[in-house]
Amino acid sequence: MDKKLEKLRSDYKNVPLPNNLDEIVRNAIHRSKSRRRFPMKSIAGLTAAAIFVLSLNTSPTFAKSLSNFPVLRNVVKVLTFTEYTVNEPTYKANIKVPAVSNLKNKDLEQSLNQKYLKENQKLYDEFKKEISSLEKKSGGHLGVDSGYEVKTDNENILSIERYVVNTVASSSTTMKFDTIDKKKEILLSLPILFKDNSYIDIINKNIKEQMINQMNQDESKIYWIPEANLDYSIDPFVSITENQNFYINKDYKLVISFDKYEVAPGYMGVVEFIIPTNILTNILVGNHYIK
Amino acid sequence: MKGNSNLEKELVDFIMNNKDDFYRLAYGYVKNSSDAIDILQDSIQKAISSKNNLKKEQSLKSWFYRIVINTSLDFLRKQKRVVVVDEETIQSYSSGINDHYTNIDLERSLEALPPKYKSVIILRYFEDLKIEEVAEILQESPNTIKTRLYKALELLRIKMN
Repeated sequence: MDKKLEKLRSDYKNVPLPNNLDEIVRNAIHRSKSRRRFPMKSIAGLTAAAIFVLSLNTSPTFAKSLSNFPVLRNVVKVLTFTEYTVNEPTYKANIKVPAVSNLKNKDLEQSLNQKYLKENQKLYDEFKKEISSLEKKSGGHLGVDSGYEVKTDNENILSIERYVVNTVASSSTTMKFDTIDKKKEILLSLPILFKDNSYIDIINKNIKEQMINQMNQDESKIYWIPEANLDYSIDPFVSITENQNFYINKDYKLVISFDKYEVAPGYMGVVEFIIPTNILTNILVGNHYIK
Repeated sequence: MKGNSNLEKELVDFIMNNKDDFYRLAYGYVKNSSDAIDILQDSIQKAISSKNNLKKEQSLKSWFYRIVINTSLDFLRKQKRVVVVDEETIQSYSSGINDHYTNIDLERSLEALPPKYKSVIILRYFEDLKIEEVAEILQESPNTIKTRLYKALELLRIKMN
């Protein structure tokens, strides 16, 4: 074993024990046993029911706000439509549901907003379900934090990021993006942006180059690609999907996003790669969105 | 299925036999004796009151380790402790003859690790558990534990140099 580790280990092992540890532990055991005479189960059930505070801010002014601000009438924007929260010592939820408004294309507006609401309702329901199944076991810790961020909002495009952070023992983060052409009022996707499927290979190649460069420059970075020479087996990153998470940033650059654990160890978090436009120009449908 | 009283007896024996390890584990996180005792007491209470949830295939050991770790992390989360040390305190640690500067550095570097890295180091190298056992305790896949261990060692080495 490494010398330094050996030293840390002996420090850890040599922590002095309290003289009366035996007594302390005996007492704790004794107290825990006698406490069980109370009808624990029904009390636990009652508090659990009382604890879940659901604050549902279905804003009644939401619909009105469209007509109340004439200046904003023609501006497509994103607002918080409703929020779900649970706030209890070991269970936390904070779910913000976005809604886009002022699109003339009402079908698109509705389908987006319904998607957002459904996603988050599902998230909330699942959260509650997990809590009740945990309660039946030994209890535990759960957290969920969901919300949105407007990544880009210029005259042509609106890019909305939605994130979900799940916390159990460690946390995982999932991202989703929607990019809307504000003029044509359509939802953009990678296949729409490019002439054919060749974008997949071109982007893959670039991302792998960026990963290798980053790892060469900074030893603390690890990506799961064969070039990383990892001494453990893990499925390496092979390719983005046809509908990989993406958005277009303020500089009109294409950004490809990977969730936590998708292409790298958890400590790397969510990772993003900005794809240089010059390698894409030949295959882009136009230079309208990405410049 | 084991009878209720059998299970309880087994659990009590288990706690009594391993109390030193559990105390050290809690101490490893909170770094102070009275807090470590509190955590041990809380963990015992949690374990005994929820012993019926212990699944048959689960080992008593990894189950109890998990309770101690979660209780410690909860405690730290509530405390969000900032270690402020004034000049005088630093002086009082320094005996002049037997300075242990390197020890402090070493300890600090383990302290400086985020809890999830600290947990894998403690369980794997100090408690000598197998990767699979560590994975069961932390409720992660063995691969995740390996990744974390790798990273934790890397972080330690960087900081110790």
